[in-house]
Amino acid sequence: MKSSSPLARIMSVPGMPMTFVLIITVVVFQMLNPVFLDASTLGNYITNGIPIILITLGVAIVIMGGGIDLSVGTVAGLSAGMTMFAFVNGAPLAVGIAVGCGTGLVFGLVNGFLVAYLRINDFIVTLATLNIAAGLLVVLTQVQPLQGVDVPGFPELTKSDVFGIPTSLLIAGAVFLIAQIILAKTVLGRRLYAVGISSQAANVAGVSVPHVRLMSFAASGLLAGLAGVLLASRLGAVQAFLGIGYEFIAIAGAVIGGITLAGGSGNAWAALVGGFFLVTLQQGLRLNNVDPVYFSIVTALAIVFGVVFERQVRRVILRTALQRTSALSDQRATTAAASARSAAAKSSEGNDDEK
Amino acid sequence: MRANDSVSTPAVLEARGITKHFEGVTALDDVELSVGAGEIHALLGGNGAGKSTLISIISGVTKPDRGTIHLNGSPLASSGPFAAMAAGISTIYQELSLVPALSALDNIFLGREITKKTLGLPLTSDRRGMEQKVRDLAADFGITASELGTPVSEFGALKKRAIEIVKALAFNPQVLILDEPTSGLEDAERQVLFGYMRSLRERGVSLVWVTHHLEELFGLADTATVFKDGRRVDTVPVESTSAAELVNLMFGMDSEEFGGGDASRVAHLSTSAGSRVVLRARNLTRGTVVRDVSLDVREGEIVGLAGLAGAGRTEVVRTLMGLDALTSGTVELDGRRLSLRSSTAAYRAGLAMVPEDRKQLGILADLSTAKNVSISRLSTVATAGFWISAKKERALAEKFRTRLGIKTPDVDARIGNLSGGNQQKVIVARCLNTAPKLLIFDEPTQGIDVSAKVDVHTLVRDYAANGGSAILIASEVEELLELSHRVLVLKNGRVVGEVDGIPAAIEAGEFARIKSEVLNLSAAGGAS
Repeated sequence: MKSSSPLARIMSVPGMPMTFVLIITVVVFQMLNPVFLDASTLGNYITNGIPIILITLGVAIVIMGGGIDLSVGTVAGLSAGMTMFAFVNGAPLAVGIAVGCGTGLVFGLVNGFLVAYLRINDFIVTLATLNIAAGLLVVLTQVQPLQGVDVPGFPELTKSDVFGIPTSLLIAGAVFLIAQIILAKTVLGRRLYAVGISSQAANVAGVSVPHVRLMSFAASGLLAGLAGVLLASRLGAVQAFLGIGYEFIAIAGAVIGGITLAGGSGNAWAALVGGFFLVTLQQGLRLNNVDPVYFSIVTALAIVFGVVFERQVRRVILRTALQRTSALSDQRATTAAASARSAAAKSSEGNDDEK
Repeated sequence: MRANDSVSTPAVLEARGITKHFEGVTALDDVELSVGAGEIHALLGGNGAGKSTLISIISGVTKPDRGTIHLNGSPLASSGPFAAMAAGISTIYQELSLVPALSALDNIFLGREITKKTLGLPLTSDRRGMEQKVRDLAADFGITASELGTPVSEFGALKKRAIEIVKALAFNPQVLILDEPTSGLEDAERQVLFGYMRSLRERGVSLVWVTHHLEELFGLADTATVFKDGRRVDTVPVESTSAAELVNLMFGMDSEEFGGGDASRVAHLSTSAGSRVVLRARNLTRGTVVRDVSLDVREGEIVGLAGLAGAGRTEVVRTLMGLDALTSGTVELDGRRLSLRSSTAAYRAGLAMVPEDRKQLGILADLSTAKNVSISRLSTVATAGFWISAKKERALAEKFRTRLGIKTPDVDARIGNLSGGNQQKVIVARCLNTAPKLLIFDEPTQGIDVSAKVDVHTLVRDYAANGGSAILIASEVEELLELSHRVLVLKNGRVVGEVDGIPAAIEAGEFARIKSEVLNLSAAGGAS
């Protein structure tokens, strides 16, 4: 609203507080080790991080709709495996990519159908499909080694530049842009937020909650599939346990970015920033010769810090907003009820101050 | 008249000057209550009268803004549910609060287990000690020793009530609060429960009993206190009153709010509705909550649904909206059979609903006012059916803001920040934006201030005057009659009566007659 300061307004957008933390993190790592922002290392770490960040976006979309998707990591791994499997068996470039993305989409649709239409708890459904995808990848690697093929154009997805910008970064950029446009500008995006805020109220307002749920899981699956294709391109070979644990980084990244697990808020930028923060953190530790065994501990601590930071920023914004609205209703208090309401608001502020 | 006059024993429980506001709405206004030893004291009143708030304050769950609770003449030293329980006030809530997987015994002692020392530490619970302590008490309420060891999930509603009573009595409370204890019980079971209540009275326990069923009071309750709009209306000895008198106390006219003249009430409601039937519902049945309900709504007609809490009014409209599944029955809108499969299908067919419980079911709190208006029919603000135009959306909200008098500094502001009355107008705007053939208003003025109430009444009348058809649910009978052409009275899920030609009757000065007709049907109509 008009009277709020520009900074408070910017900071109230999910993802913005974390954007500043990300910038500070990059600056600190650059000061510690000037190699950090060299073109070669930078391009490398961005390319490495992109699959994780696409997965983060997928999970973020499900979370915004009030759900959770644990299967994204292993579905990405299986999608990578399916892409390689297609190539090993002679598929051309487009077919291999379609097989990878299609694998993710099928898992997303199955998750969505079970959650939305059969009303099975999403935690349980995606925990099951997480293990199904992981198991299928193991089976696949035993059928045939998923490596050693040279499909023209495939490695270039992650190993080439367009005007100095990594191709995979361009792909990811386009995906995030499209996702953000769908979230902010379309009927489907609007319904996703409505369901996330309150599936009950959305249902009473005539929103088809199952349809929205199905679409959110489908999007998450498709993004995991795309992430798998890029993983396969970068690695050139797919091992049996690819993707396990990625879901942890993805969910954590979404939450750190400022997408609350309660649902109903967030945007694509928040997922991007949150995911990139964790990727950056690991890269920075690596460049500063920190033993990789400490990565998971540092990552976990960063998650706790990030969530507390987000909440504190939000709380400060909420408090100033509350003071503004009560001042506003003071001016406009024409009925007895209105003045009683502002009195109630004041007394609750008073309580806050006491704490 | 004070409760003390009718009961010879001194007061055990007293509430003095209790006042409580919730977000500007006065839930309780300087309320007094006095309950003697071994007295069954009924609390009566319509929805939102303040009964629930009062018992939640007495049981320490809610903190009053002003006023104190006294036990045996001295104020309760500390607040909170545990302090109240320790002082001797126990509460049995309407929703059962037992843990289904635990045995009856474990439930009774949950959180206050008797322990015995193992290896010098009080680690294990002393099951035998606990069993001995409650065995006789449990037997008094029909629970055998073997049932004490059975998981609660295996018992029916009556047995669960009995376990809750034993749970409360195991710690010798002086006051036991019962919130709608008969809900979910069959008739025969109710009689058993009433027997338990009598034996509690004989033990000297003071009972505070919240109920909506007036016929249950007689021959059981000693005293009844009636609440309305957060105020105590009166306290009367039950043996010297009648159901009709209590009904009048519960729903009696508030002169401030409604003015006096009968004829002026319906200035905007045309006396005759159109003849074309818009909605035709037949034999709607949903389990035991909606039983064989049939209703027609004609063009330009407002059909009111009357009845006490739990009569099945909201349940009927929820089935129409496809929110709850029907067991059997059919619904036609403009001659076309509805699928009743989902709310989405209902809106598409031309139904819309302003739901009860605005905060939970109505508003999408974190979205803006404009986004709350458009959500039920986004195609009105979208290009090519999917691309939302922020400009169109804002223009739509501005149109309704002017038309319905929604007071907000900015249609882009969060709806959660608006007052209740303005939130409700936004929900009405949301429904009107779908251009419904039939609009359902479920308690449209619940929890909103007086001036917003008048505005919402005007909206409903204008809607019908322009040929719109509506179903209206309102617990306040005056409100219902002022806004309805015809009223169906529900009780226990059935239609037990119909009052037609209401605008004409009011114009003829017969408001009081039709009001008492509706009230008597609500409270006592039909076989239960």
